[in-house]
Amino acid sequence: MPNSQVVHVIDDDVDVRQSLAFLLSTAGVAVRVHESAVAFLAALPNAQGGCIVTDVRMPGMDGLELQRRLRENKIELPVIVMTGHGDVALAVEAMKAGAADFIEKPFDDEVLLGAIRSALARHTRDAENEERRAEIRGRLDHLSEREREVLDGLVAGKPNKIIAYDLGISARTVEVYRANVMTKMQADSLSELVRMVLLEGGAK
Amino acid sequence: MPASTHAQKDLAALTTALEAAEGRLRSIMQTVPDAMIIIDERGRIESLSTTAERLFGYSMDEVAGKNISQLMPAPHREQHDFYLERYLTTGERRIIGIGRVVAGQRKDGTTFPMHLTIGELRSADRHYFTGFIRDLTDQQMTESRLKELQSEVTHMSRFTALGEMASTLAHEINQPLTAIANYLKGCQRLLERIDGEPALVLRDAVGKAADQALRAGHIIRRLREFVARGESDRRVESLPKLIEDASTLALIGVKENGIAVSFRLDPAADLVLADRIQIQQVLVNLIRNAMEIMIESSDRRELEIGTVANPDETVEVSVSDTGSGLAPEVAAHLFRPFVTTKRKGMGLGLSICRTIVEAHGGKIWVDARPSGGTVFRFTLRAAKEEEEANLAK
Repeated sequence: MPNSQVVHVIDDDVDVRQSLAFLLSTAGVAVRVHESAVAFLAALPNAQGGCIVTDVRMPGMDGLELQRRLRENKIELPVIVMTGHGDVALAVEAMKAGAADFIEKPFDDEVLLGAIRSALARHTRDAENEERRAEIRGRLDHLSEREREVLDGLVAGKPNKIIAYDLGISARTVEVYRANVMTKMQADSLSELVRMVLLEGGAK
Repeated sequence: MPASTHAQKDLAALTTALEAAEGRLRSIMQTVPDAMIIIDERGRIESLSTTAERLFGYSMDEVAGKNISQLMPAPHREQHDFYLERYLTTGERRIIGIGRVVAGQRKDGTTFPMHLTIGELRSADRHYFTGFIRDLTDQQMTESRLKELQSEVTHMSRFTALGEMASTLAHEINQPLTAIANYLKGCQRLLERIDGEPALVLRDAVGKAADQALRAGHIIRRLREFVARGESDRRVESLPKLIEDASTLALIGVKENGIAVSFRLDPAADLVLADRIQIQQVLVNLIRNAMEIMIESSDRRELEIGTVANPDETVEVSVSDTGSGLAPEVAAHLFRPFVTTKRKGMGLGLSICRTIVEAHGGKIWVDARPSGGTVFRFTLRAAKEEEEANLAK
């Protein structure tokens, strides 16, 4: 990866940030660590291009607020969001706010590096993404109307009970639809499913 | 006067006296507010008061001379003759003059709780027992309903506390797990650049150790999902009823502490979409907190529970106190786990409240009252009657 491409790691947990710095440097990635979003923004004028890997839940300014500030300041560094809560609703919000990707802690190094590589390789990203998007769109087209409604509910971060309530069907039926959706979309987990839909740009 | 005439006169006087006594007894039996039953020493029913007739569903004629045991359910039904016999032989009192709560059985076979006291009466060679019966149905219903509510909320709060602990633990443990996995994966990468047998073995071992850290992460994720799944059973509920139940629970013992409680309920804030027990738990928590802070810090002790229907189809519930108020630095992170101002608190109550309210799609926050004290407010989604039908499907 080119020298100007620095990965900015933001996490309030010192051990997580240092371990990330270690891991990324062994993979030949240039790293800067920041203890908070505020500290990162303060160092921003000197920051080189690259991407941001940030925890989503932090005291003071959280990941979502950081994204908002970046947008306000027209800073177009791609943001990868990490969550330690498995908090899908929060991750969805981050993705909607324009995050490049989100990963759940703890993660496999290849998952993180893959996300960083595709965030950094912006010129190729669009083309690759278009291909991926078309693939996802193809799967989405195979969903029934009801399945699509359940999917939209899931992407909106709603629990089964609420989706059932909104659609006027039983929670059990929602579970069946949900399982069908997972199969048809070839998703292994809810977060992967959400990622796919958000990548396709079809979230409502 | 011949002796026989005397005897006749005496007899007449006696008969009159007896009739008068019987009349008095009859009138007592008809008007005594408690149910009253008189039996002889073999358990045969002599008389039944009007209230007893109504309570058991039998008329006097139906049961006169029958064994009292038919007014009680098993096992007393089978044992009653033995109880009587035992008392008459040993003189050992188990219920006479003591009283206890037992079950009665009505004519239709249903049973009910009752308080029974027994008095005894000896006349010449005969032996009677009088039972005074108070129907406890209403009283017990209130008590058991209260107990039921209490145990539901206690169970639920334990469960939610567990969920909150799991969630917090998941985050706290995921952080070191992430660091472990990162370091190990980094080591594995470095070892890839070193030649030789030992490096190869190390690389393999380090990689496996990293996988174990990831596995622990998966276990925690599954635990979280499991706890989250059991979380909620939302229905259309009456908000005033929810508040009434929750405050009944929370306000036990409130009079002794000189706390004045008032309600200011908006009639438009009626039906809400809520998990009854969870929202009661939130209310109980807020009310108890308000009481505790006032008892600790203030002579003016006024608790107000209010509701307001908002135009955006939400309702706002508020619990306000006249306590010492909150320092701004405490208020800022009050809803985070393990933050507490109490000496003996885990700091989970308000964090649980937030989890519950947010899971209901609402918000919870705290304001300072201009006149001193604090107001906790939270919102819930308003519901309409017809939504119940949808939920039931």
